[in-house]
Amino acid sequence: MKSSQPVVILIGAPNSGKTTLFNHLSGKNFKTVNYPGSTIEYHTSGFQSQFNIDAILLDSPGIISVIPNSPDEEVTINSLFEHPSFGKPDLIITTADASQLSRHLLLVKQLIECGFKVVVAITMNDILKDKSLAIDAEALGKLLTVRAVKINAKTGEGISELLEAVKSSLQEPAKEIKKEVCERWNDSENLIKTFSEIEEIENKVLRPLNPSQEQLEKANKELSSLILQEDENKILPESKTLKIDNFLLHPFWGLVIFFFVMALTFASIFWLALPLMNLVDYVFAFLNHAVIRELGHTWFSDFIAFGVIDGVGAVSIFVPQIIILFLILGFLEDTGYLARGAMLIDKPLSKIGLNGRSFVPMLSGFACAVPAILAARTIPNRRERLLTIFVIPLMSCSARLPVYVLLLSFLTPPDYYWLAGLGLAAIYVISILSSLLIAAIIKRFNNKIIKAKDDSSFILELPTYKFPKLSIVFHNAMISAKAYLSRAGLVILSISVILWFLTYFPDYNPNIPNINKASEEYFQLANSERIENSFAAMIGKVIEPVMKPLGMDWRIGLSLVPTFAAREVFVSSLALIFKVTAKDNQLQVSLISAMRNAKIAGSNEPLFTASKVVGLIVFFIFALQCMSTIAVSKQETGGWRIPLLQLFIYSTLAYALAFITIHGLQLFGIP
Amino acid sequence: MRTAANLSNGEKARITSVDLRHPSARRILEIGFTPGQEIELLNKSFFNDPLAFAVRGTIIAIRKDEAKSIIVE
Ligand SMILES: Nc1nc2c(ncn2[C@@H]2O[C@H](COP(=O)(O)OP(=O)(O)O)[C@@H](O)[C@H]2O)c(=O)[nH]1
Ligand SMILES: [Mg+2]
Repeated sequence: MKSSQPVVILIGAPNSGKTTLFNHLSGKNFKTVNYPGSTIEYHTSGFQSQFNIDAILLDSPGIISVIPNSPDEEVTINSLFEHPSFGKPDLIITTADASQLSRHLLLVKQLIECGFKVVVAITMNDILKDKSLAIDAEALGKLLTVRAVKINAKTGEGISELLEAVKSSLQEPAKEIKKEVCERWNDSENLIKTFSEIEEIENKVLRPLNPSQEQLEKANKELSSLILQEDENKILPESKTLKIDNFLLHPFWGLVIFFFVMALTFASIFWLALPLMNLVDYVFAFLNHAVIRELGHTWFSDFIAFGVIDGVGAVSIFVPQIIILFLILGFLEDTGYLARGAMLIDKPLSKIGLNGRSFVPMLSGFACAVPAILAARTIPNRRERLLTIFVIPLMSCSARLPVYVLLLSFLTPPDYYWLAGLGLAAIYVISILSSLLIAAIIKRFNNKIIKAKDDSSFILELPTYKFPKLSIVFHNAMISAKAYLSRAGLVILSISVILWFLTYFPDYNPNIPNINKASEEYFQLANSERIENSFAAMIGKVIEPVMKPLGMDWRIGLSLVPTFAAREVFVSSLALIFKVTAKDNQLQVSLISAMRNAKIAGSNEPLFTASKVVGLIVFFIFALQCMSTIAVSKQETGGWRIPLLQLFIYSTLAYALAFITIHGLQLFGIP
Repeated sequence: MRTAANLSNGEKARITSVDLRHPSARRILEIGFTPGQEIELLNKSFFNDPLAFAVRGTIIAIRKDEAKSIIVE
């Protein structure tokens, strides 16, 4: 599709200010990040109407050259020649950071020589000013034969000049784009040659802000521009960043701080997310109860209370953790710390076949595996990227939290709340350790499981430290949470409704003699009778043989079946199958007492015992129970091989380890 | 032959060449480590690998193995 509107695309190195400019021009508020390569999706918009430019504006992930090095760069570069939905762009606005002009001019020069119509937006002039330097944009434009404008998209300075340049350039005829010219930069000699041309340009356009008398005289004499003397300012980045790095990248303290930051990130789940989760739980339990109380026991009230309300509750309950984790990640990303974390952890990760660049994707895996797998695109080495994608589902994502909380509360006496917290911390540690262990094991068998050639590298720009704009961090966390909800919400809700249907029919009106139809006892008996004869029970009994070795019956088995589509539904499907009515307090509390009372069918043995509940926890640590993860893993690895292997290996592992745990614990006398 | 990997913290050096046989040579050049540039070793990670260099006004972290392909005066 190529619309009549011209297409303007923002291209530039990571952290050169593309998204900031995009937001300013479009009036939108998208993610600006300080971790190289983290914009992995394109954002599209028009120009704000006040700017009077009728064109489509695209943001893009950062690239430093027209020769791609990783899949995320490849996507950007391919779309320069032919964007999948907008065709060939009419104009490129390329951003170049004034404080590292010579590096960023490489891409600018490449784009111009390939034949693209280019307007150069020079950003970060304020940072250069702190070094008492400035760029002569007009001179730069002349030397490059394009329009170059100094801007600051944070304050709006220079934007009107930029818009003028965009308008004029759009009116000029397009030139022929020569892809073969672009490919010339595959050649290292050509790169070196281009850089020496760039250095010449840089010397002509970089000027001291307050030239000394001596320099002025010299310049006059030579009738040339103010050439800078070999200036130490030119190689050194901002001094504030250097000072902070001496601390955060300190050989010893750097590591201490790293572990402290990570510990704090996870602790926030306990301190912030858990209380909020309980609140969500409370609200939905209250609603469930209110519906039954107001509408009585009919199929309709049952559907609303147990199908819809509990289903929506199952969707909502981990939203707090998702938002909190995305907030923290966004904050760390924006400060510039995540790039340092990647550097600090590169060596140990490379030992097990991963890469420092696996760090950010794996960390986001604790919120949700789907964006995490997408973020793995920034890993250049295919083998390392596939391995990262392979282990991401082991990261304890937010959807598991409600399950762990329920099962841990079952295990620990109510007065020992801290014990459950300790258990949760242990689960997170186990999930991290097992992902590292599995990565290490796969590395041993590397060629059999992940086929790719080995040319591992770690080259990462460490951006200057910035204090994040909290409103943007917050806004982005909300966008991530919304993306998550729209992806998972419908699936989870549908599963809840289907499951409700399966547990309610066909024997929806069981006949129970000799009991007053209005009594609470009657409803309990009717409920269990209805479930015993339901479609769900029929399905459950088919899978019962699989559950037997674990000492579980069809009811747990049936609660597990839908979790393979989305593990989020475990708590609500348990509640549905054990027909828990919230008694004006948290669903969890009622569910736990129902679990304590449940007996294995036809016997007096308790269904849930300590060993089996621990076994269930182990099952959830390993099992890959998420349709969206499988879909995105297929998309990102380019086939069914990896996702099917993941599904098979993790499910087998989950079952086997749950079996070993349960019987091992029972050997030690734990019921 | 001295390489960027031999530098000690805070030491500056000028690049004479980059070993083009290194698999990451192109990226090393693209990111700004070209002959004639002055660089400074800023920080070493806990295991002395990767290393953070100042080059062309920014900080780039690269592995020791990659630093070995950057030959300095
Ligand atoms: N000091 C300064 N910071 C800027 C300027 N433009 C953008 N930034 C900041 O630089 C960081 C990276 O910007 P972003 O737009 O995300 O870069 P992108 O990776 O190219 O999209 C953000 O923290 C911005 O707030 C500028 O002109 N001056
Ligand atoms: Mg961006």
